[in-house]
Amino acid sequence: MSEQILSVNSAAIGFDDTEPLIEGVQLRLREGEIVGLTGRSGIGKTTLIRTCAGLIPPLSGSISFAGAPLAGKARGEVGLIPQRLGLIQHQTVGYNVLMGALPRAKWYQSAFSLPSAEMRESTRNAVEAVGLQDKILTSVNSLSGGQQRRVAIARAMVQSPKLILADECLGELDAETAKGIINLLRDLADDGTAILIVDHNPVRARTFCDRVLQLRGKKLVELGDEEQDATPALPVLRRPEQ
Amino acid sequence: MSDTSRVVQIFLKRPMIRVALVLLGLSVLVASHLRITLSRLGDASSNLRVITQEAWPPDFSVVTDRASWAYPPCELQTDWMCSPAVVGMTQTLEIAFLATILGMVLSLPLAAASATNLAPPLLAQSIRQLLAALRVLPSLIWALIFVILVGIGPLAGVLAMTMYSVGYLGKLQYEALEGVSREPLEVARTMGLPRWQVARFFAIPEAANSLLSQMLFMFEYNVRHGSVVGLVGAGGIGWYMQYYLEPFKLYDRVLALIIVMYVVVIVIDQVSLRVRRRFIEDEPMRPKWKQVFLPWTDG
Repeated sequence: MSEQILSVNSAAIGFDDTEPLIEGVQLRLREGEIVGLTGRSGIGKTTLIRTCAGLIPPLSGSISFAGAPLAGKARGEVGLIPQRLGLIQHQTVGYNVLMGALPRAKWYQSAFSLPSAEMRESTRNAVEAVGLQDKILTSVNSLSGGQQRRVAIARAMVQSPKLILADECLGELDAETAKGIINLLRDLADDGTAILIVDHNPVRARTFCDRVLQLRGKKLVELGDEEQDATPALPVLRRPEQ
Repeated sequence: MSDTSRVVQIFLKRPMIRVALVLLGLSVLVASHLRITLSRLGDASSNLRVITQEAWPPDFSVVTDRASWAYPPCELQTDWMCSPAVVGMTQTLEIAFLATILGMVLSLPLAAASATNLAPPLLAQSIRQLLAALRVLPSLIWALIFVILVGIGPLAGVLAMTMYSVGYLGKLQYEALEGVSREPLEVARTMGLPRWQVARFFAIPEAANSLLSQMLFMFEYNVRHGSVVGLVGAGGIGWYMQYYLEPFKLYDRVLALIIVMYVVVIVIDQVSLRVRRRFIEDEPMRPKWKQVFLPWTDG
């Protein structure tokens, strides 16, 4: 039986006690599972992700990580890929990916910027895995949107966390690039990482997620199989008949 | 009602006019409180005439003749390299350089500890008070204090400029650090990194361009003010100006030193501006004269 990684119990999410964005959140994530989170813009998907990351406390209820309170998680066990990726813009691809290895650096390695051989090796491997080995010394602000997303994923790969929280990391990508990113996420999940990913496109989410959750009003609901199948498909653009 | 009074009434109805009149009235009151009178300006013009007559033409022997009384002593063989202008300006640049580097090294950790997005609120507020306290005294007063503490010479200048640089740079830096994007910091916090690593590896690299630009600006500032602190004995070209002013009143030599300083400051400002522009992409480019007068060309 796979281990339960994230457990959100009857939590109210938001910033104002009197008016939470989401109420009664029940969420379970097991290792190796990819769970999609959908819902219209501004409904609270990012706030839920930030709450699961421990950046915002829940208004009520509790969040546990691997059976213990979230606040007690060890360094590097949770990875975040924010909507705008959180890359350090003026630094290189290599620097950004290496940051994922920082949680396991000894104090003197980080104090004097002396990454260990293992940290450098895992950085090189992750950069190769996302296909950016020829860009390792390139500044990330000169990369395309898709390449920057791959850098953010490589950073998460180096971190090798138990849980990745990805906020819209497929947004505004063409189908081919999105497919490449999805394959990378699937590889991470196959290695046992639990992934909670926000995707505004429920049709795409159901193609690669094990489960899809949807924010409706102030509730988080799981889309059943029938409901998922009933989700309207994207319109197919047809070439006008000659 | 006459036309004149109607015009005055319409004129006074305009809020900008009323504000301007109030400010003018206040200015007159403050000037009279400070005993500022036009007759004093008349005295100034006669003094200016005397100084101009004595200062013109500038005596550029300060650039060619050896200053045997230079401190620290100049041991080079070539006379012009040991002239008051060259020795003084070199000292001013050296004081500015050391003060900027020391100021940067000391202010950066203080700035990180006073940025509200990196440090606990109580610590941030305490360090901000310290930085504000350092800025209260201008560099000239710091120079007076250090001349008393460590004696006349460039060391007092370096220490004085460093104190002011820490206060000034610290404020600029914590504002730059607070302006960095929230997301890289959240990535670091989600990893569970301690605050110092969040600052060291995420916030400072993210703000690096602004921080470097501020350091160059501080160097420019220290070069300009390094000449002022010399007037109270803290080394640099100001000290040589003071040497000629009191008791000799050799205004022609002082004017030559001012011209040398002006040229050096202008050159440094231009170099610094160009280097800083490389770091800040958003800074508007200064138009070239050709672009102003011949806008249809590519410049």
